[in-house]
Amino acid sequence: MKHAIALLAVASYASADPLALRADAFASTAAPAGVLTLSGDGDLGSNLSAEAVVWTGRVASDQAPADVLVMALHARTSDGRAAGTIGRFVASLGALRPVQVDGGSARVGLPHRLVLEAYAGVPVLPDLATSRAWDWVVGGRASRRIGDWGSVGVAYMQQRTDGELATEEVGVDAGAALGTHDDVGGKVAYDVANPGLAEATLSASDRHGSLRNEVYATYVAASHILPATSLFTVLGDVPAVRAGTVLSWRAAPRLDVSADLAVRRSDGDAIDSVPVAAPAITAPAPDRGEAIAPAIVLHATLRLDDRGTSALGGELRRDGSGDAGWTGARATARIALPYRLSASTELELVVPDRDRGLGRVWPWALAALTRVWGPWHAAIAVEAQASPEDRSRLDVLAELGRAWSVK
Amino acid sequence: MKRLLVIGLCALAACAGVLGLTHDGPQPFPHRKHALAGVPCTRCHVGLGSDDGKTLHVPDAATCTACHAKPHDARPCLDCHAAPNALAELADARAHLVFDHASHASSTNNDCARCHVGVAEGDEHMRPPMATCFRCHDHDASRDARNCRACHRDLDDATTLPQTHLAHDGDWLREHGTRAASSGELCGSCHRDAFCADCHGKTVPVLPATARFDEPDATTIHRAGFVSRHALEARAEPGACATCHSTSRCASCHTELGIAGGDRASPHPPGWVGPAAADNAHGREARRDPSACASCHDGAGQMLCVGCHKVGGVGGNPHPPGWSSRVPTSSLPCRLCHPIGSRP
Repeated sequence: MKHAIALLAVASYASADPLALRADAFASTAAPAGVLTLSGDGDLGSNLSAEAVVWTGRVASDQAPADVLVMALHARTSDGRAAGTIGRFVASLGALRPVQVDGGSARVGLPHRLVLEAYAGVPVLPDLATSRAWDWVVGGRASRRIGDWGSVGVAYMQQRTDGELATEEVGVDAGAALGTHDDVGGKVAYDVANPGLAEATLSASDRHGSLRNEVYATYVAASHILPATSLFTVLGDVPAVRAGTVLSWRAAPRLDVSADLAVRRSDGDAIDSVPVAAPAITAPAPDRGEAIAPAIVLHATLRLDDRGTSALGGELRRDGSGDAGWTGARATARIALPYRLSASTELELVVPDRDRGLGRVWPWALAALTRVWGPWHAAIAVEAQASPEDRSRLDVLAELGRAWSVK
Repeated sequence: MKRLLVIGLCALAACAGVLGLTHDGPQPFPHRKHALAGVPCTRCHVGLGSDDGKTLHVPDAATCTACHAKPHDARPCLDCHAAPNALAELADARAHLVFDHASHASSTNNDCARCHVGVAEGDEHMRPPMATCFRCHDHDASRDARNCRACHRDLDDATTLPQTHLAHDGDWLREHGTRAASSGELCGSCHRDAFCADCHGKTVPVLPATARFDEPDATTIHRAGFVSRHALEARAEPGACATCHSTSRCASCHTELGIAGGDRASPHPPGWVGPAAADNAHGREARRDPSACASCHDGAGQMLCVGCHKVGGVGGNPHPPGWSSRVPTSSLPCRLCHPIGSRP
């Protein structure tokens, strides 16, 4: 009887809040690929919610015919001080990289504005049939809020594959809002398994009216994001270092422009430190490119109506140097049409610095037609390109989706 | 120079409408003009006293013609005398806000301007910002707990982004990780797990850039002709691919495209590995760009090099004359040739 009452209670909660369901079918001649995705989420009262995204289809020869992207049950106390999740989800702790896990996570707020978070589970691999013996990952983070304007946290995670240590990291993160116009955030991750700085980022932004400026710097060591047993332990590490500024300006009510002006340290200058057996190589060294390479993106978006249903966009980009250098231009357009139709197109032109027999220009274009009516969404597109892999290629993409709201 | 300036000003004037600097079409409703004329809000917005939190309370044509006796044409008044998105934004706000006017009538002494302070400044910003609510309502506990549902409904479906906070502008694709690091639970107040998993999940069937091919403005990874650029971008950020992709992804994709496998079992050019130094392009490339090797030859990295480059191996002794290292011989990759307990 008690169980029946509980079920009725849950059912009444469920009926109070709508359950959002969605189905999307996607097909492309490119792979060829066809995927049916089913998603749903809903609240079972104010303290319990659930979400799931599952799919079936074929997009690559080595991929499982069906898989689960997310299937999680979330619970929280009424005051929000404690919360937990079980199932398959993306766990993210401060400065440490996000991990998709099958497991559980919990967060609890303590006095003095302290918050403890932890997760444990099995790291997800993209194949249901993969052997998962002795694969596990655990992580935790302690953080403290500082007034109404900032927070600081320390995190730790360890991942084992077949019982062997694969990843072990500690991280520190901090964020602060400085007044009403400025904020700053940063994070540092240290690789314990393969000792060394794994990742560091710093971002500070300032906003005055329609102008926003962000200054940033990032350092990512490849050994951090590749398994500890990778080639980098033999050949040495080649970190990616980038620093720059992003200026965003609403130049007119419908016109946004931005400029990302950055430099990145290319791999050329790191090679001298590679501790490989150099005398075995007697051939002349190739052009290593510049030590410092530009990474510049200029972007503009013009909305053709106040709501932005029709818009034009343009982008110029210059990236890298030497063999990895390229210049690109991209244009987009989306135009609302009668009968709830809209047409969109996207064009891209990439010119690599070095031909290397792979083509001097790599053009890419896509034209799509979309119709949205009620809960339905349908789109079809033609994609054309010339790439290093294909002298010319034409593909068709199609999508059909429907949403339901169940009381 | 003057000519350029004149041409620029002419171009700006010609494009003023497109840029949104002028409004040729429907104008925001003149709330301020009506308020200054002494028209009570409730004369047009009827039914606020019994507001159910869902009704829009937008005046119909009959309400307008009760005072404006000479309408100039037969179209509904708000077709022209309301901002183009006003009704849609109002409906969106009503759908996603837990609010009713009736319960605020006594606390404000029926003074609408207590909250709708924007009427003093103009006609475009009539909906009170969140800060106005906080003047009377103490939501510290909800804010500390990131519990937005006391006031907001179905935030993940709301189409109107907050204007006063959490604006995702600039290069948010790059910046979001740094921001989310210190305030991850804040992200969760709007975004569900599936939103993160769309890019960070290992079991993603189709990336958002591919699935949302009809949204060219959407900010996603691997936009447009990424397949052409991927080798260049992988070189610029060594190892970045492996954050999401398993190493078998390279081999399977190249095999499907006919770049490797079948008649051409290796993606490497002729002379990649050979006995003569001139034929050993692989060593030169490995030193120059080890990330390119690691993007496919991962996991067994030590064996990949040391399997050949060892005493007695076809690659010969990897150590030059006079080689010394402070790395303990018990650690990888030294351990592959120097087992623990053996002589250095």
